[in-house]
Amino acid sequence: MRTQMLKARTHAGRKSPAATAGSGTYAFRLFVAGNESNSTEARQNLAQLCSTYLKGRHRIEIVDVLKNAAAAIKHRVLVTPTLIAIEPQRVVTLLGNLSDTRQVLAALRLNGNRP
Amino acid sequence: MSRRNPPARRPTTGTQDAEAVIHALRTNQVDAIVGDSHVMLVRLKQAETNLESSRDQLRALAARLESQRESERAQIAREIHDELGQTLTSLQLGLAWLAHTVTPTQPVRTKLASMSSLVSASIRSVRDVAVRLRPGVVDELGLVKTLRAEARAFRDNTGIPCRFETNLRNITFDREGSIGVFRIVQAALTNVARHARASRAVMTLMKRRDTLVVTVKDNGRGITSTQRAKPGSCGVIGMQERALALGGTLTLVGSRDKGTTLTVHIPLSRMLISGVAP
Repeated sequence: MRTQMLKARTHAGRKSPAATAGSGTYAFRLFVAGNESNSTEARQNLAQLCSTYLKGRHRIEIVDVLKNAAAAIKHRVLVTPTLIAIEPQRVVTLLGNLSDTRQVLAALRLNGNRP
Repeated sequence: MSRRNPPARRPTTGTQDAEAVIHALRTNQVDAIVGDSHVMLVRLKQAETNLESSRDQLRALAARLESQRESERAQIAREIHDELGQTLTSLQLGLAWLAHTVTPTQPVRTKLASMSSLVSASIRSVRDVAVRLRPGVVDELGLVKTLRAEARAFRDNTGIPCRFETNLRNITFDREGSIGVFRIVQAALTNVARHARASRAVMTLMKRRDTLVVTVKDNGRGITSTQRAKPGSCGVIGMQERALALGGTLTLVGSRDKGTTLTVHIPLSRMLISGVAP
């Protein structure tokens, strides 16, 4: 497990470990709780991060656990905001409002992609 | 007989996941906990923001009240000095005139001398009260010289030697900041005189990078944590509020062997400096 500010947990082996870090299209699933403050911040921070570092090569799916708790349970989401990066590398889960860009980039292995 | 499916179970949460959740909760970055049958909202961050905002409002109110108190003090000081001071001076002159005019018999002369010395003492008291109410000396001399004078006055009034050290010269702080620091030092020295049972004290005013550090240290019996925590005790809250109003922090540490040390850190930018520090 990555022990960072955001406490990422990785699930090695679900995706090809050969996937090149920082390349390919990124798919994110962000679990939020309506418009609660951390959820709003997480949405904004993820959008900002994608437009800065992953322009044109990302997909974001927002799941509101207040409307769809079953999806959260299915994906083992315990708290919101939770970000699950599904592609292109192995699955990475980040907890928190994603305010620490440096830590988020490190967890997603995007450190080398700084503009 | 139909075969019932086992109840759906949530995957077991590992220690690492639990640790990550606890960390996120601790840093107030969570706003909902997802349970098997319900979602519970956690509004810690909102509560913290509201609390911080209330604190800010209270601090702003305290600063405004303090500013009003300072101007009221200044007005009272002016009136005491001008009205009472003038009256006493006239009385003193009248007594001097009497001493030269009346028949110089011994009882009268003795009485006049005693009255004259009483009036002189009253004039000094009026002046002291006026100065304490309005540290006009801060305006005239600046903070450094005022604190040096305060250390001398403390020694003269209490008999406790008080050393003043500074690495500042040719520096002018803004009035509000100077009065804030002066009042903190004044309160700290009052505590030394009243509670510390000290035989010496040291006051310092130092520039450390971008911070102004003020300390008042004594070798007395040391403030205890109980005394420190007691509401309204030793004017600690007042000193703390003054430091906070200047964007600073205040710590008060007591030790039975080493006495009490009060330390205030204030960002220099909040003191609006002009002039050059060494």
